[in-house]
Amino acid sequence: MRHFVIVGVLVILVAALTNVGLNYIHLMPVEASAQSIPVDWLWNLDIEVISFLLALIIVPIAYSLVVFRRKKGDTTDAEHIEGNTPLEITWTIIPLFVVLIFAYLGAYTLGEIRVVDPSAAEIKVKAIQWAWSFQYPEGFISKELHLPVNKQVVLKMESGDVIHSFWVPEFRIKQDVLPGRVTDYRITPILVGNYMVRCAELCGTSHAYMEAPVVVSSQADYDAWVASQEAIAAVAAQTPEGRGEQLANASGCRGCHTIDGSKLVGPTWQGLFGSQVSLSDGTTVTADDAYITESIAKPSAKIVKGFETTTAMPKFDLTDAQIKDLVAYIATLK
Amino acid sequence: MAHLNKSEAFRQGALIFVFLAVLTALEFFVAIAIGSVVLLVTIALVKFGLVLHYYMHIYKLNATEDPDIDQHSYAYKLTTSRLGLWLFLLSDSFVFGGLAVSRFYLLGLTRPPLNQILGLVVTSVLLLSSFFMNRAEVSMEHGDRKNFILFTSLTLVLGLAFVAGVLGVEWPSAMAEGVTPSTNAAGAIFFMMTGMHAFHVITGLIFLGVIIRNGSRGLYSPEKHWGVEAATVYWHFIDVVWIFFYPALYLIGKIF
Amino acid sequence: MKKFFSSALWHGFLWQAIGWTLGASFLTLIRVLMGLNPFATFGFTEPAWVFGGLVGALSFLGGSGVVSDWFKWAKGEETPEHHQDPDGWEKFINISLDHKVIGVQYTLSALLLLVIGGIFSLIFRTELAQHGLQFLSLQWYNTLMSLHGMVMIIGILLGIAGVINYILPLLIGAQDMAFPRLNAFSYWLAPPAAILLLSSMALGGFDTGWTGYPPLSARTPVGMQMFFLGVIVAGWSSVLGALNTIATVIRMRAKGMTAFRLPIFVWAAIATSIIAMTATQLIGLSFQMVMFQRLFGMGFFDPAKGGDPILFQHLFWFYSHPAVYVFILPGLGIISELLPVFVRKPLFGYRWIAMSSLGIALVGFLVWAHHMYTSGMNEYLRVPFMYSTLLVAVPTGVKFFSWVATIWRGKVTGPYPTAFLFVLGGIVVFLMGGLSGPPNATVATDLHLQDTYWIVGHFHDTLFGGYLLPFFAAIYFWFPKATGRRMNEALGRLHFWLMTPSFIVLTLLMMRIGLLGMRRRIADYDASLGFDPYHLVMTITAFVIAFSVLIFFINFFRSMKNGEPATGNLWNSRSPEWQVSSPMPVHNYDQPFEVVGEPYDYGLADSVYVKFANKKTGGRN
Repeated sequence: MRHFVIVGVLVILVAALTNVGLNYIHLMPVEASAQSIPVDWLWNLDIEVISFLLALIIVPIAYSLVVFRRKKGDTTDAEHIEGNTPLEITWTIIPLFVVLIFAYLGAYTLGEIRVVDPSAAEIKVKAIQWAWSFQYPEGFISKELHLPVNKQVVLKMESGDVIHSFWVPEFRIKQDVLPGRVTDYRITPILVGNYMVRCAELCGTSHAYMEAPVVVSSQADYDAWVASQEAIAAVAAQTPEGRGEQLANASGCRGCHTIDGSKLVGPTWQGLFGSQVSLSDGTTVTADDAYITESIAKPSAKIVKGFETTTAMPKFDLTDAQIKDLVAYIATLK
Repeated sequence: MAHLNKSEAFRQGALIFVFLAVLTALEFFVAIAIGSVVLLVTIALVKFGLVLHYYMHIYKLNATEDPDIDQHSYAYKLTTSRLGLWLFLLSDSFVFGGLAVSRFYLLGLTRPPLNQILGLVVTSVLLLSSFFMNRAEVSMEHGDRKNFILFTSLTLVLGLAFVAGVLGVEWPSAMAEGVTPSTNAAGAIFFMMTGMHAFHVITGLIFLGVIIRNGSRGLYSPEKHWGVEAATVYWHFIDVVWIFFYPALYLIGKIF
Repeated sequence: MKKFFSSALWHGFLWQAIGWTLGASFLTLIRVLMGLNPFATFGFTEPAWVFGGLVGALSFLGGSGVVSDWFKWAKGEETPEHHQDPDGWEKFINISLDHKVIGVQYTLSALLLLVIGGIFSLIFRTELAQHGLQFLSLQWYNTLMSLHGMVMIIGILLGIAGVINYILPLLIGAQDMAFPRLNAFSYWLAPPAAILLLSSMALGGFDTGWTGYPPLSARTPVGMQMFFLGVIVAGWSSVLGALNTIATVIRMRAKGMTAFRLPIFVWAAIATSIIAMTATQLIGLSFQMVMFQRLFGMGFFDPAKGGDPILFQHLFWFYSHPAVYVFILPGLGIISELLPVFVRKPLFGYRWIAMSSLGIALVGFLVWAHHMYTSGMNEYLRVPFMYSTLLVAVPTGVKFFSWVATIWRGKVTGPYPTAFLFVLGGIVVFLMGGLSGPPNATVATDLHLQDTYWIVGHFHDTLFGGYLLPFFAAIYFWFPKATGRRMNEALGRLHFWLMTPSFIVLTLLMMRIGLLGMRRRIADYDASLGFDPYHLVMTITAFVIAFSVLIFFINFFRSMKNGEPATGNLWNSRSPEWQVSSPMPVHNYDQPFEVVGEPYDYGLADSVYVKFANKKTGGRN
């Protein structure tokens, strides 16, 4: 009997120490969304139960192996205890109840996370291999997601190709983004700061690099940003290269083509226009208007040497005018 | 189950076939006049039960066995083989189950535009083949080798007709209607379901060919004809799959 | 050398190569006649590679000779009941119908695949030790990472088949499995499957992870098809092996072996086999549907054609969740089987433990969509799956509590045998895996955890603790039964103490960085996240684990020839196989035995479990 008491005390002790220790090392990122609060609340409850169960199993085993170890010279078997039905029933029923309680709490926190603010602003999110773009209700498209603090926003997300997933660890919530349908991501940021959204569903070669900045700012700063974006868009809409740049950002071209010379899945655009390009079939061409136009309209027509085995460039749904704008933009990149 | 003599067994097999035919006509009527999925499912389940019991003899799995039986004897191994065959069919059902689930997931309660007469014809051909398969098995059980060969051959011919009907007539006809594998999900699931089923029918035909050949060389007897039993049960299994696939593909919603 | 080139293995591979080439060429010819392009990036076109791969696998089976008896039966010819196996090592690379030989074939193949999968992980763990890409391209990273997953999974399935094949007939007093030829066939599906799987590396690789989700899997290079084909072929091995296991347990038990006098491992094997025999078909179906989408444009999962990518996930996970219970139930069964022998006490609550295996298997069919909480499926569906998933914790808990109660006041003879160390390690590591489960089961927390290294840590713990550590325990335990010699205990202890703490550290660190934002399946990570030190330590532990495996292999192969002789009841076990001498005679038991008592009545004086027809002993020595 005293063994049970000692084990009991040790279990509580080890559980408490484990729990304190786990809390001390700050397992979770900072709570930056209203939704993260019920998630972390439930998480902390989970950690308490986990600490307890870890102790409950390991402590008696360790205790028994040490305290009841075979004495020297003892060759007999141990006590013939086959079972204890009341005990077995207990350790089935109690966990059953605990499980049901936690399932209920799980459903409850899920409800908390999904609380809808009918006045939430809608921002459209487009995910393609391997870039995010954000279309604001004001009409402009941005490569960065800016959000005002303490206001619920619902992202309406769609993929242009494969399954991606939207995740900001500090927000906690994650939601897959699919082609052919719109999924919702409802979030209320509560902490001003700079975060990153990184794709959380393996989406191909450059999945690791599919990310975009998420900036949560005060209402005033947010409004200022929106105004500046509208102004930029307005200016850009007036020149071919401006429109081209906007289009490149919105269509996700930058997911594969850099503008700073570095190599990604596709050739860089820096210095591309007018340069000599070696193709996979051994010939060399000049990257003039005709070449770049064809490369956008018919991506598989000519493959640049060194890019034969990377993922093929998909065909984008672009009008001739749009392609001209893109070419104009690319021509400006030295 | 009291052991029947040959003519009693023939009669029972024919009676079951009549029931199956009537139920098939009934489900066709339901599809024309009522369009109730619940009724279709019920009819399919009744047909399934009839074939399972009277044609496939599933109750044999529950037969009592002498507890001191010699585990090296033919009788013991036969029971073990029978268990193995049914376990295999259980496993295979999961493929068809998965296809059926996919069909309803993708198409809900709509159905692809298909030729109803053609559907009814190939279904009847397959059902008739099961009738002859049963007759063949009964013949073998009563030592009637001549009729065993005859009825198994008839089964094979009807099975070939089914395959020709589906692959050779239904498929081109569907494609002419715009239902192709690559048009849309409806076409894709139609071709996958009928294709997988036809693949099983073809393997069943090979199996039938084997037992016809071995049977005509006198290798089976009423006491020892495991190959025949296995081919028979497999053939009826293929029929059972179609009992569910036919209404799933052709009869959902009101037709005409 | 000559022995190798006359073996079934060599003939199989040869014919696989021939069949592959002929099949691909034949399809290419058809394409030419149809006016289609005959060649593509990787030589043959994708349809040719697929058709060739299928023909190649079938040719392997034909060329190896494993189907020859069946063909004879189809032609109406008789075949001998028993095959005589050659005496030397060559019996392991030829067709044998002896479950013990097949069990060893499976086990060695499993170890080989574990090494291959492990090497893949060492490669990409080296890449991950530092941020930035050091030497792997993104495609190679994705391919090696994906293959690591599937190669390990198949390694697990083969290892399970190995243990079940070797010991199940021995435990129930059977001479062999119910269907010996089917048994051989199930094994010989594995080599061609492995070839197909590994060939993906030469055909552009694939970058979907082992889960193969479309639309991505519908547009990756040809390697993806080889992956699908390889899994389908291996899947058939699993299905047929499970069918054989169920039939064997039902039909081949010794007299008196009623349900609750079965060894507990047999219950685990039944539960595992129920799942493997049925659910496996669904991964085959889901992969087949993607294959056909690629080959024929059948838009099952293509939204543009009215298809739905989420359908794939439902079909896939309907197998792949129960599959994880296939992976762990045998290992947990090994833990339950071995504990009583070492602690010299009955298995506490034997009946509940037996029922809990069935309970886990059955409930396990109802939880699959917990892999899909973020998928975009119907939102309200998430709640019932949360309930059912959390429910699995109850029968699992029954096992843990029963193990604790079994160990309580048990008397283990020190120094602890290596097999016992691995049993304890399995309990602890599986506990870690199990406890990291409920946050995943709960939707709200899972939204943060899904697709992160937390999940990677969770499943590595459950798989290592639920399968790999018990698998090593089984090897150390039954090696004497198979060979008549013991493995070296000092090396065994070294293996354990290098492997297990390293693994615990590895997975704890995985869970840590996962919570802080480390996504899974990424070749590179941002330096600003501060994960570099963690990754470095994780890579080091991976190499320590690999080194421990090397020690194991040295021990394993040396002990076969030079191990300390152990021909008797080494563990003083009540189990029937230890009542006869080691190595196990070819036909297992010369005299049949009858079950006259309970399997785990350690500590009950004069109790006997099995009685042999002509032998007096059957319990304690």
